Amino acid sequence: MHLLKACLHGIDRTNYWVARLVSWAVIILIATTVYEVIMRYLFNAPTIWVFEFNYLLNGPYFLLIGAYAFAINGHVNVDVFYGRLKPRAKAIIDLFTMPLFFFFIGMMLIYGGQFFLNALTFKEQLSSAWAPPVYPVKMIIPIAAALLLLQGIARYIRCLHLAITGREGEL
Amino acid sequence: MSIEIVALIMFLSLVVLLFTGLPLAFVLGGLALVLSYFLWGANSMLLVAVQTWDVMNSYFLVAVPLYVFMANILQRSGIIEEMFEVMQIWFGPLRGGLAIGTIVICTIMAAMTGIVGAAVATMGILSLPAMLNRKYDKRIALGSICAGGTLGILIPPSVITIVYAVTAGVSIGKMFIGGILPGLLLSVLFISYIAIRCWLQPELGPAPSKDERAKYSLADKFFALKKIILPVLLIIGVLGSIYGGIATPTEAAGIGSLGAIICAALHRTLNWKNLNESVIETGKITAMILWITVGARCFISVFSAVGGDELVRDFVTGLAVNRWIIMIIIQLILVALGLFLDEIGIILLCVPIFIPIITELGFDPVWFGILFLINAQMDYITPPFGYTLFYLKGVAPEGVTMGDIYRSVIPFVIIQAIGLAICMIFPQIILWLPNMMK
Repeated sequence: MHLLKACLHGIDRTNYWVARLVSWAVIILIATTVYEVIMRYLFNAPTIWVFEFNYLLNGPYFLLIGAYAFAINGHVNVDVFYGRLKPRAKAIIDLFTMPLFFFFIGMMLIYGGQFFLNALTFKEQLSSAWAPPVYPVKMIIPIAAALLLLQGIARYIRCLHLAITGREGEL
Repeated sequence: MSIEIVALIMFLSLVVLLFTGLPLAFVLGGLALVLSYFLWGANSMLLVAVQTWDVMNSYFLVAVPLYVFMANILQRSGIIEEMFEVMQIWFGPLRGGLAIGTIVICTIMAAMTGIVGAAVATMGILSLPAMLNRKYDKRIALGSICAGGTLGILIPPSVITIVYAVTAGVSIGKMFIGGILPGLLLSVLFISYIAIRCWLQPELGPAPSKDERAKYSLADKFFALKKIILPVLLIIGVLGSIYGGIATPTEAAGIGSLGAIICAALHRTLNWKNLNESVIETGKITAMILWITVGARCFISVFSAVGGDELVRDFVTGLAVNRWIIMIIIQLILVALGLFLDEIGIILLCVPIFIPIITELGFDPVWFGILFLINAQMDYITPPFGYTLFYLKGVAPEGVTMGDIYRSVIPFVIIQAIGLAICMIFPQIILWLPNMMK
């Protein structure tokens, strides 16, 4: 039980720190955007990379924070009925609805992985002047899915524990 | 299976699953993939990667974290507290002045941040106690906060507007600029209502005593204004550069974020705690919004692949009625969905299906979008599930019941409906400014 608790805690901490780290990307987005505007208007020398760089950063940014947002119930849901239930009732419902989550994220892991491998094999690049390789960015899809999947497993175990024992917050 | 049955299964499972409390993003994505698996087998599962990649490739969506960050920094910068003081000096002496001032601040806040929950919570903490101390009637005090707080949806910059523009394939800039006049119209309607109501029934929002009123001289009043120069310049900078075509909305957001950081630094509130909180909060909100976008894109792609969108289109355009009636029916559907579903989810699900219909009927998608945003605002304050009502209850002092809040917003809901009608009858209120842009 102690080991299990340590594992679940480890998943929480991992996703927390991933989110803490990745969320600073917004500062980079601001910096590059300002840089682009300055270069264009002050030096009349627009860059070829900021436009693409920004959206290539934005994707990994939001994907990787997804697991942390899930851990702290940051993903919006309809709680008209759900919100009024007791924690144990919520846990029991989650046990039945979470398989849908697992299917979605599981497929994202498998097919996102395939998607990444294709890009890697063919050394896919963006068709633009800057032409960066896209596989490092596509790699984030399976990674983010894996993190979210772990967080989902942690949640499922906690729901199972709460549903069976009726005791909250032990895991 | 026929298209009708598949589409019906999709819709019904969606409704049932939504109420189970599973996050919207996963309900949409999961449902789409399960159906796709049954219809087309494992090979179709690649759609999840393709749709995710599609969201990752949107330059326009980069505007989301940038505006959210700007809002988060400004909210923690102390500027709003200062504006509240200025407002008390200017409007405090009038009958109902604090409620009027609340609407004014909410309008400015809407143009700076546009996060509804934040505006309502801040005003609930700053302005509500002040109004209750001055023996304002609860109905005016609570109603003005709820109504003012929702202006953030319509008045640019607003994240919901970005999501609409990206989904409908219209210019974010035009949508932003199109929201200005309708937003100000609603603001003016709210203020007029409070002013007239309190003038007729002074007990609703009593003016302070004569001494109190003479406390600030005209010079004091103008001197106080210097506190709001910075935020006003920021707003003009962001919206002006979009309107003038100097910067894209994403670039304006980047510059605006830098401006927000500078504002906070000048207020000496740019410390590690505020920056850190803003950064993580921005990440959380952006992840939430864009994950829903991924789920909704998966759902819509499957729904279109089975022919569901054509089904809806044929059905609606096949109705042999006036195009305005179709238009009103569509708006009513959106309002009804808004009673329990998140606005961003509604946009991502309905707009891809409705926009072709709207265009085919000869309506302007920008105009339609703004009408939708006014509707969304109404959803936010309509009992029993309007979000702002709960936000306000969360911060209101003891003695304010949910019933008080419900009763207080009814006049404002009616005013919103009037505003909506005005914008439908006179489309130029929405379209005049965007059409002047190049």
